[in-house]
Amino acid sequence: MRLLTLLALVLLGLSAQAAEKLKVVTSIPDLADLSRRIGGDRVEVQSICKGLENPHFVSVKPSHLVAMSRADVFVQVGLSLEVAFVPGLLENCGNARIQPGRPGFINASDGFAAIDIPGQVDRKLGDVHPQGNPHMNLSVEGGAVMAANILKGLCAIDPAHKADYEARHAAWTRELEAAQQRWKKLGEGWKGRKVCVYHQEHAYLIRGYGLVTLGSVEPQPGIPPTPASLASLIATLRKEKDVCLLAVAWARRSELEEVRNQAGVTLVELPNMCAGLPGTESWIEMMDLLHKRLAEAFGPQKGT
Amino acid sequence: MNHSILSASALLLGTSALFGQGSAFQTPGMPRQVYGPPKEGTSQDNSGQASRFSSVFNPAFSFVGDIVGDYRSGGEEVGWNAELRALEFGAQAWVDPTAWAYFTAVSDGESLDIEEAALHYKGLGERHTLRVGKFFLDFGKQMQTHIHELRTLERPLVLREYLGDEVSGTGVQWDHWFSANDTTAVRFSLGAFSSLLPEHEHGEEEEPEAEAEVAGRKSIGNLNYSARVTGFTDVGTNGTLQLGTSARIVPDFAFVDEDGGGEVGGLDNTVWGLDVTYGWKDETATKSFTAGLEFLVNSGDVGAELGAAPGDAPIVADGTRTGWLLFADHGLDPNNSIGLQISMAELADADKTEALEIEAYYTRYLSEFHRLRFGLSTLDVDGADESFRAAVQYTFFVGAHGHGVNW
Repeated sequence: MRLLTLLALVLLGLSAQAAEKLKVVTSIPDLADLSRRIGGDRVEVQSICKGLENPHFVSVKPSHLVAMSRADVFVQVGLSLEVAFVPGLLENCGNARIQPGRPGFINASDGFAAIDIPGQVDRKLGDVHPQGNPHMNLSVEGGAVMAANILKGLCAIDPAHKADYEARHAAWTRELEAAQQRWKKLGEGWKGRKVCVYHQEHAYLIRGYGLVTLGSVEPQPGIPPTPASLASLIATLRKEKDVCLLAVAWARRSELEEVRNQAGVTLVELPNMCAGLPGTESWIEMMDLLHKRLAEAFGPQKGT
Repeated sequence: MNHSILSASALLLGTSALFGQGSAFQTPGMPRQVYGPPKEGTSQDNSGQASRFSSVFNPAFSFVGDIVGDYRSGGEEVGWNAELRALEFGAQAWVDPTAWAYFTAVSDGESLDIEEAALHYKGLGERHTLRVGKFFLDFGKQMQTHIHELRTLERPLVLREYLGDEVSGTGVQWDHWFSANDTTAVRFSLGAFSSLLPEHEHGEEEEPEAEAEVAGRKSIGNLNYSARVTGFTDVGTNGTLQLGTSARIVPDFAFVDEDGGGEVGGLDNTVWGLDVTYGWKDETATKSFTAGLEFLVNSGDVGAELGAAPGDAPIVADGTRTGWLLFADHGLDPNNSIGLQISMAELADADKTEALEIEAYYTRYLSEFHRLRFGLSTLDVDGADESFRAAVQYTFFVGAHGHGVNW
């Protein structure tokens, strides 16, 4: 009898502990990874967007709506990255806890210095983002900012476990610092290397390492190429040597192949978010792979 | 004395002008410019932290252009044509933290119609929405959607025949959704409206016909009602399945011969529908496949023909008619899609004449904001010549476009 009572108490205790977990929903898997790292066993995390998708065009599924309606915390990148699906989900989920301005809403780009902020917002500029390039999750500096905002948000909504969150954040930061040393070493010879892009998601890396962008398959962000714009790009690239074409999984393969074959550039497939390509389950792993592929494409001997 | 009269007149004129344009400040007894608690001890009107010249709280505006050029043969219309099918102007904004409002005005170049003007009230609690005003019927997967936003050039035959091209009603609708499990959401809506019959499009009638009309004043039991229940669920990691059932109930209406003057009243009609839709996207969400089926039952007084002579009451057809639509759409990539839609309906004549419509299309999204569509369609009505149509549709979207369409 005592044994049964003890077992029941243990089960009740485990159940209560499980019930106390914060339900965290993130817009992209990068934020899910950071939330897990900082939240540890205090959080249950689900990402809406999958690692190979284009975060500008995510299709909402029923499970996303249900998850948002039950969430204690919602984490987004912001900078209008998720404008295609987050505002609709927030409005329809009916969950007051995670609405903007509430403690359960975390904007992971808060405090990040975005680049390419347009002086004038106009559709002539394409699918332009008024607050600047939103792909800060692919910036070397972006991880620290996202993690800091997640830490701040979790501590605010669950102050009882603040010390746990801070300890995990500190451990992750140490990993990040080691990774940044690796990335810095890899990128030392990249300044001046020539690239062409499909979309603008790697703009932070390009600027950070001093790469030279010769053109973009999308003539403007989010605008598919026309035959004329492709011909012009190919003509430009043909005049250059050792150009890498940077693209992600959702980019249209036919256009990438056309540019590669006609302009003679090297196609480099890079991760867009973590948990997409193999070996990118964490944000740091994803950035590792990104640097590794760039290093392989540029080649150590070609560095200037 | 004259000076006093002139002064009084000037004051009155000045006051009138103030009211006409909105007063610069408020004196006791003046109507408030904006509803809300009065600000005690201040001469400022309660205009929500903005002066009457401020634009910071202006709504988001949008406009949409829908242009169709086509060639028809075999039916009543033959030859080439091009038309501005719709120029839609819309605005939307939050009214306060619990409600947002919008309107949609649409012109075909000849007349301007307010197709929707409604408010979504969210203050009833989580996952409840009360929609008040004039808005599109919540029936099946398509009827909430304006024609220019459809996957195809036209509303499918069975929906046109049984419900109308576009059906908006003035009334109130309650929406609520709940989760059945971790991957399934269920929504239902109930609506009561003054009328849910399609509005007559004067100027487009090619030949006289009996028009269905609902009386302006009616008992609560004779209001028009809508109901829909739908659930959608994850299928695997990349698929979604949606099931739904809908009803439109018109308990009392009349068929009217507007030219001849004949009328027959005391009629009723109910349309019931069942819809199934499956959608799939690949891992990168760039390739997609969507297929759907809708089955409709139209029962009661389903249609009417004009009487033999002017002044005669229209001859009403009653009973039950059934029809369906089936479609498949393949997104080749985010910018290109192809599809096929087939629709069959028993028409609302006494003979239950059957009609079959087939439409194939290719859509090119030039960008997120404009698209080009090429479509081929045939309409085969028993006892009549088969008609054929080849069409090009160009549609552009400018600004913050949206209608609050629910899933």
